[in-house]
Amino acid sequence: MISVRHLKKSFGDLEVLKDINVDIKQKEVVVVIGPSGSGKSTFLRCLNLIESVTDGTVTIDGEELTDKKVDINKLRAEVGMVFQQFNLFPHKTVLENITLPIVTVKKWSKQDAEKKAKDLLQKVGLLDKAKVYPESLSGGQKQRVAIARALGMEPKVMLFDEPTSALDPEMVGEVLGVMKQLAEEGMTMVVVTHEMGFAKEVGDRVIFMDEGYVVEENEPKQLFDNPQHDRTKAFLSKVL
Amino acid sequence: MDFRSDIIVEYFPFFMEGMGLTILMSVVGVLMGCILGFFIALGKMSPILIVRLPFIWYINFLRGTPLLVQLFLFHYAALPAILGSTTPVISVMVTLSLNSSAYVAEIFRAGLQSIDKGQAEAAHSLGMNKFQVMRHVLLPQAFKRSIPPLGNEFIVLLKDSSLGAMIAAQDILYWGRAASGQYLRVWEPYLMVALIYLVLTLSLTYLLNYLERRLDVK
Ligand SMILES: Nc1ncnc2c1ncn2[C@@H]1O[C@H](COP(=O)(O)OP(=O)(O)O)[C@@H](O)[C@H]1O
Ligand SMILES: [Mg+2]
Repeated sequence: MISVRHLKKSFGDLEVLKDINVDIKQKEVVVVIGPSGSGKSTFLRCLNLIESVTDGTVTIDGEELTDKKVDINKLRAEVGMVFQQFNLFPHKTVLENITLPIVTVKKWSKQDAEKKAKDLLQKVGLLDKAKVYPESLSGGQKQRVAIARALGMEPKVMLFDEPTSALDPEMVGEVLGVMKQLAEEGMTMVVVTHEMGFAKEVGDRVIFMDEGYVVEENEPKQLFDNPQHDRTKAFLSKVL
Repeated sequence: MDFRSDIIVEYFPFFMEGMGLTILMSVVGVLMGCILGFFIALGKMSPILIVRLPFIWYINFLRGTPLLVQLFLFHYAALPAILGSTTPVISVMVTLSLNSSAYVAEIFRAGLQSIDKGQAEAAHSLGMNKFQVMRHVLLPQAFKRSIPPLGNEFIVLLKDSSLGAMIAAQDILYWGRAASGQYLRVWEPYLMVALIYLVLTLSLTYLLNYLERRLDVK
């Protein structure tokens, strides 16, 4: 489904991703862990071209993202992204946040888009908030709306960049719950998170990144109980 | 000191005419300024230096030279050279439009750059193209934030339009000078002129405050 080959990314002189090779299968849930600054966000952002790739290739569902001829906007629509800071549009209601991209990008009619948006709000348990503005929502509710908004584009894969890191502890569960449900429905997901419980329970595979490299990857249980590399051990001993 | 209110009474219709022209010239100036200013703001935000440079200097020139000098330049030199001839009112409108476009461009640019980068990223990640992101996400928010400084700009422009009297555009100040010249009096005409400008700017201030409350500008 996703194939990353020799991915390199630099910001000026700073080489952030050094040589990333990752394969992600359809319906797989891959959890990315690693210390702050190791390049996890940059890796995700390269997967939907919010950051341009410096070198190497990223192929999603047979389409080569780094190909100059490719329609970037079409590809981005197929890759959903959920951000730590939610990034809802504050001047749009919850419903409009979800319908805006469906109407502008997918060119659906307003009615169809609203029907779809309501279904999605139902799914994340926020149908009663359709008419309110994001500012009146709690962090957990905002993130669930952001997930619904991304799902509105019917993406082939969903990327989550620390979706619960900006939340009060009591709201983490509701967001992870929605993500778990998505995983059970067979969504292909790449999740950067510090929630090791989620990684163990929902993840099919865990990737440990450090200093721009994938240091180690394995099934969650294997990686957590029996890490092979010293750097993985050091990191896990701090977070577990 | 005797106060000759008869001068004011006699010139009142002219003052009202002048007021109409002042309002017209200012409104045209601010509207054209907004339209031009928007594109200039986009130009100045270009990532390519060669594209950015002319916009930077356009803004530098119009903000860094006196409005009266610009007015003389356009009225006596630039517009006759380009159009063959000009009238005072056209010269004032053109000068105010261009001058305010430079200030408005900076207002819009500040407004656009004040929007959190995550907004555009989220919109792009949903597949929206640059135009759609600008149109549906950035502009509505930036415009709302620009309303208070745009209001200030409008008030400044309204007052500055009085420079038009220097090239005989028949605005409020023009008629004040005419009255002063005819009766050789200074207090009555100029107090009246000041009062009309004050009424205009205060009305505008209240109107803008109302608008800001209605639009819930933060
Ligand atoms: N736009 C950028 N410009 C310059 N440096 C950046 C940019 N984005 C990230 N970096 C740098 O890249 C490194 C990796 O960042 P990031 O991918 O956010 O790490 P993580 O998500 O693992 O914490 C950091 O050193 C960060 O400072
Ligand atoms: Mg990060």
